[in-house]
Amino acid sequence: MLAIDRHAYSNRWSRVDPAQKGVLALVVLLLSLLADRPAVGLLACLWMWGAAVLGAGLPAGVFGWALAGQAAFLVPGALGVAVSVGPAIQPAAGHGIQLGPLSASTGPEALDLALRLSTRALGAVAALDLLALTTPLVDVVQLLRRVGTPPLLVDIVALAYRFIFILLESLQRMHNAQESRLGYAGFRSTMASLGLLASRLFVEAYQRTRRVEVAMESRCLSDDMRTLPSTYDTAPGLWLLGLAVAATLLGGWVLT
Amino acid sequence: MSTILRLEGIHYRYPGSPGPALRGVDLAIETGLKVAIVGRNGSGKSTLFLHCNGILRPDRGRVLLDGSPVGYDRLSLTELRRSVGIVFQNPDDQLFSASVAQDIAFGPLNLGLSEQVARRRVQSAAEDCGIADLLDRPTHSLSGGEKARVALAGVLAMEPRVLLVDEVTGSLDPWMRRQMLTILGRLATSGKAVVMATHDMAIARRWADLLVVMDGGRIVASGAPESIFGDAALASTILPPDPW
Repeated sequence: MLAIDRHAYSNRWSRVDPAQKGVLALVVLLLSLLADRPAVGLLACLWMWGAAVLGAGLPAGVFGWALAGQAAFLVPGALGVAVSVGPAIQPAAGHGIQLGPLSASTGPEALDLALRLSTRALGAVAALDLLALTTPLVDVVQLLRRVGTPPLLVDIVALAYRFIFILLESLQRMHNAQESRLGYAGFRSTMASLGLLASRLFVEAYQRTRRVEVAMESRCLSDDMRTLPSTYDTAPGLWLLGLAVAATLLGGWVLT
Repeated sequence: MSTILRLEGIHYRYPGSPGPALRGVDLAIETGLKVAIVGRNGSGKSTLFLHCNGILRPDRGRVLLDGSPVGYDRLSLTELRRSVGIVFQNPDDQLFSASVAQDIAFGPLNLGLSEQVARRRVQSAAEDCGIADLLDRPTHSLSGGEKARVALAGVLAMEPRVLLVDEVTGSLDPWMRRQMLTILGRLATSGKAVVMATHDMAIARRWADLLVVMDGGRIVASGAPESIFGDAALASTILPPDPW
């Protein structure tokens, strides 16, 4: 979370209009989902990686690790699709092994489905990774307002973002206080400390909500939190990049 | 000097609390005056501030703005809060927007000002507080001193006539504290009333024009700092004897 935030503020595209990056991400996301071709998903990953590194100037490893982390979540799901577990090997599956009372079967169709699902999801998350890693959340929130997202929802997103950092600070302070009094010296004390930490954090969050509400009221809180629209740079190159990406992905869709 | 805000016989008890937090407080706040309010923890300083801004409504007594009793409907409260701003003790309670500019703009936009006017006010308040270079920064990346100045700018952008500052210098280093006091002094010179709750006796003695001493929900003394510190009995209610 903190790393995403740091990169979002420090990359070359951080001041570029989020609408441009949003359109690029949306096009890639839709094409990855609709095309349902492994080549399209993989091409989307490569394009987004290249745009993040060569365009926005993010370190290659940052985008790679973000994508690898999400791929790690996809693997168990893909395995579940690729391999069927049951009492007996399914004759239609193709290959299988019997392990005592259980059997695991797989076949070309299941493998193909798992591959298509994984690459489709990876292409889609790569598009969102590019947006998240190059756009400060403040600007994503502004973009949500511009496209007419219900104000209440946008306000909640904005407040939640701010509170994440405040609660992280509180969490760190409480953890340090517990650790300095040997709160994590053994298994039992660790479990007890974690329980106390969680309950205390809840109380802290509740009390802070009240204090923030008072501070907001004192500055004439109205039903709708109006905000100042930010000014951004337009990057004509990003439109061209978008066209090239879309053309490549459409080509991959048609040709495979 | 003219009186902007007057509190008359304010009594208040928090729901569920065994004793009253304020017990008959009278106070007049005048233009261009630097007021320091001192008193032990729990003496009622913060509760008093919340009454000045209409967050709390007195059980008895009344608050007058420019000589007229304030109402507690939405319009009257907006008028009161336009005139009387509070800078809270912990800036993290006050800074709820994700970016500095957005946070400072919160009050002006709530007053119904246009984006153009709000933007001008944000810039002007940021320059007054020496944070113009921080406007695009995310709030969570600021240091404690920067947060305190952003919180102050957020209130200044509403252009209040009375500025209530709740113990903001306590967590600042001596340089940042000096800068904060300079800003507040300049605001008082420009005609605003600046009221600061503080435990810092140097501020109470040297910075303030008027010193108000609170104890147990009452104002027990009020006057020029030198006369209060010159009175041994009164001074002992503010400063305990040294333990050595």
